Amino acid sequence: KAALGLYFPRDTYSEKLYVDQPAGTPLLYVQALRDSQQEVPRFQLGQHLYGSYRSQLHENLWFQIHEDTGLLYLNRSLGWKDLKSLSALNGGYPLLNIHLHVFLSPKPFWENECLWPSCAKVSLSIINTTAPTCSSLKAREFCFLDTGLSFRIKENKPPGTFHQFRLLPVQQLCPNISISYQLIADAGVPFRCDKESMEVSTRRPLDREQREKYELMAKCTVRMEAREVDVVVPFPVTVYDEDDTAPYLPRGINTADAVVEYKRKEGTILAKLTVQDADVTPSSGELIRKYTNTIVTSDPWVSESFRVDHMPNETTVNSNGSLVRATQHEYRLVLNRSFPITESRSVQVDVLVNDTDFQGPEGSLLLHFNVTILPVSIRFQNSSYSFSVNRNAHQYAQIGKICIENCKEFYGVNIVYRLQSLSSNCSALGILTALEETTGHLYVNDSTVVQRPECTEIQYTVVALDKQSKKQAKTSIIVVVEGTIMPQEQGCPSSCAVSKRRSECEECGGLGTLTGKCQWRQGDGKGITKNYSTCTPSLKTCPDGVCDTVESRYPAICPQDCTRGEIIGGHERGDRRGIKAGYGICNCFPEEKKCFCEQEDDKEALCDDVCRTVI
Amino acid sequence: SLASPSSPQGSELPGWRSPVDCVRANELCAAEANCSSRYRTLRQCLAGRDRNTMLANKECQAALEVLQESPLYDCRCKRGMKKELQCLQIYWSIHLGLTEGEEFYEASPYEPVTSRLSDIFRLASIFSGTGADAALSTKSNHCLDAAKACNLNDNCKKLRSAYISICNREISPVERCNRRKCHKALRQFFDRVPSEYTYRMLFCSCRDQACAERRRQTILPSCSYEDKEKPNCLDLRNVCRTDHLCRSRLADFHANCRVSYQTLTSCPADNYQACLGSYAGMIGFDMTPNYVDSSPTGIVVSPWCSCRGSGNMEEECEKFLKDFTENPCLRNAIQAFGNGTDVNISP
Repeated sequence: KAALGLYFPRDTYSEKLYVDQPAGTPLLYVQALRDSQQEVPRFQLGQHLYGSYRSQLHENLWFQIHEDTGLLYLNRSLGWKDLKSLSALNGGYPLLNIHLHVFLSPKPFWENECLWPSCAKVSLSIINTTAPTCSSLKAREFCFLDTGLSFRIKENKPPGTFHQFRLLPVQQLCPNISISYQLIADAGVPFRCDKESMEVSTRRPLDREQREKYELMAKCTVRMEAREVDVVVPFPVTVYDEDDTAPYLPRGINTADAVVEYKRKEGTILAKLTVQDADVTPSSGELIRKYTNTIVTSDPWVSESFRVDHMPNETTVNSNGSLVRATQHEYRLVLNRSFPITESRSVQVDVLVNDTDFQGPEGSLLLHFNVTILPVSIRFQNSSYSFSVNRNAHQYAQIGKICIENCKEFYGVNIVYRLQSLSSNCSALGILTALEETTGHLYVNDSTVVQRPECTEIQYTVVALDKQSKKQAKTSIIVVVEGTIMPQEQGCPSSCAVSKRRSECEECGGLGTLTGKCQWRQGDGKGITKNYSTCTPSLKTCPDGVCDTVESRYPAICPQDCTRGEIIGGHERGDRRGIKAGYGICNCFPEEKKCFCEQEDDKEALCDDVCRTVI
Repeated sequence: SLASPSSPQGSELPGWRSPVDCVRANELCAAEANCSSRYRTLRQCLAGRDRNTMLANKECQAALEVLQESPLYDCRCKRGMKKELQCLQIYWSIHLGLTEGEEFYEASPYEPVTSRLSDIFRLASIFSGTGADAALSTKSNHCLDAAKACNLNDNCKKLRSAYISICNREISPVERCNRRKCHKALRQFFDRVPSEYTYRMLFCSCRDQACAERRRQTILPSCSYEDKEKPNCLDLRNVCRTDHLCRSRLADFHANCRVSYQTLTSCPADNYQACLGSYAGMIGFDMTPNYVDSSPTGIVVSPWCSCRGSGNMEEECEKFLKDFTENPCLRNAIQAFGNGTDVNISP
């Protein structure tokens, strides 16, 4: 393991390397910042040179580092021949850069691995010419490299020197050119540039929770003969975080109440509590592992019934005018199983949140959720329901809906409706329960019974049964049979949806019709629209974009909502089935599993014999 | 037979040997007792162990050293080749042991692209009959023209309608589409349709929002790109790196679109074609990139991720993201394609 605490303020150092630069040429300084005052950095080079993508090129024969000062220099001139043989080892890539690894001693076991903060990479970009003359260099080249500067300084560490501005090879090449550096920064920033040594250092320990980015500028002034040129580049310093603050509760809120009533399904979110942390470490990748939460309980019922979902989110807080990142943790108490309607209980669920990276004693917090589980009863609001049915109604005609009290609120409770006939000779109806909806759909099951003259009033008892608890509720329904029997048109299709014209639609009946006649919907004619023209058994239920539980019994009732077959013409498919939108008129042939959406045929009738005679 | 790149004369990069593909290299290694036994050892070393434990083992290290001398070390794969996945598996079985786990840029396992944009323009002028001049006319919607051109080609039309119908099919109100199948169909489109067609649709130049919106919609982003949550880019990169194909395509993107300070265009070897190809090569993987909005000229592309939650890795995350969002090489390449211009490289 590398020396604890010492670290490099950059992960990569760069410099240019010209061919045939003489031995002894200084290249650059690396710096190390320390964790405690006693530490003394010792710099060591890795044994190998690396080429593109860190492929090992060769043993390092050319570069050396001064153990105490961090000065990297050429120990031996790197000539054309060396370069050629190094290029040949670069896995086929053109050799543009040579990389070195600098370690803070002792070196690690596997030297190929160079991981910040205890190792820094030095990238030397190879310039395929010999060193230039001073007069050919631009002012910028005396001052800064193209690769840009950026620094990382850990918070809460002793101050130290972290950068040396001088470009050593240029300075050695052109000793007569005067170069000076200056930091442009607001007053009070904790950095300092020494005019003499051209070193930049921190004045005091930094605190990320106060400020995490310093966007400084570095100005370089070059004096060449009579001219003076300024070059300004960005000099960003990022303060690195450590887990030095404990999690806390915003406004001290550590308790939330939750009531479980109609929504009893597994996965229901019962309550939320928020924990705030000024740190941004641990980061998203390791947050779930290091920021733990556990339900504190010895009761297996509690641990099986609830779980906690942790939703971390980065936020920003204002600290003395600068925005600083922080972390917000949302803890959601979630039902881990569906509860039966009979369950009745009050419990306090305690959740221990632990910031395991935090070194102090206050790294953990206790959250309390007061959960009340109320039993729900199944009952009908009305003591009796009444509906009416037309004598001409066809099979699958939907007469009405039955629903227990608060049925729209229920979630995760399985209710089934059943009919018990009180007038056995006239039992013409059926009931179907929609999944998830907790609603019963009452429909005509046998249209011949409705037509019997003796059946003028049909009575049922309807039972709503909760499958899990076997609890049930009852109510009675009376269905009055209305109207007189009308003769049926001959040669009509069994499905309304087959008809393509208004006239043939409205004179025929079909499955699901309430009065024995299909109904026509006139669309708005606006291209592919949800409101397309079509023929349907009942405008209330079809097409409404939902293939309901009765419609799904038989494909001919409402193929517009329920088809899974081919749709020909301009259309948009429904989410799972049916036609969401269509062009012109949509009609369907349920036996062939095909629907057609197309513009109306010529509106004017073809010239018939009569019109010919007139002409 | 040996897969050697059939490149136009003079356009080969200096210093490039013709690499053997890894499937072939594997066959060569299998024919040799020493090589094949070392390769078997290495594969056992890598299986289920992390890099450091592997390298601590003498036998594993010795195997790695021997294999560095074998044809397996230098082998490469080709985009859309037969047995591409097998080839990449062989490649990474050796290179995972060689590269650092935390390496920012990885070497591309793919052969270098030697063709150039101008080759596409030449072909484009054959099928459109108008040539690159048409790109300069003011009124036309190039993205619409590109879609038309695709529809006139049987292969392009077939694979385009295949991915559109798969990516558009809603499964349920909570599940917009089958993302996995959509990605697969997109990969087939970009792998099997010639780039004359695919690039025209993906990189068409726009003057108005309608055109730019069509360009943004090319990959059906509501299914293939957007997601409920925006993950952290470094976490997304880690996910991508667990998949050999995604990892390879990302490495290829970095190899070909990474900003170079030494070239005129900011692209490595001034090769726009290579950059655009490796950009398109990431579509249909976890790292799928797309235009972030329908601005006609301010082109910004990005994978579906952000740098929120980076902790101390924010700098690295920004650097990763900027290779997409603020990459002069990629931007220049997309613009050059839209304008029908390529840099002239003297061989």
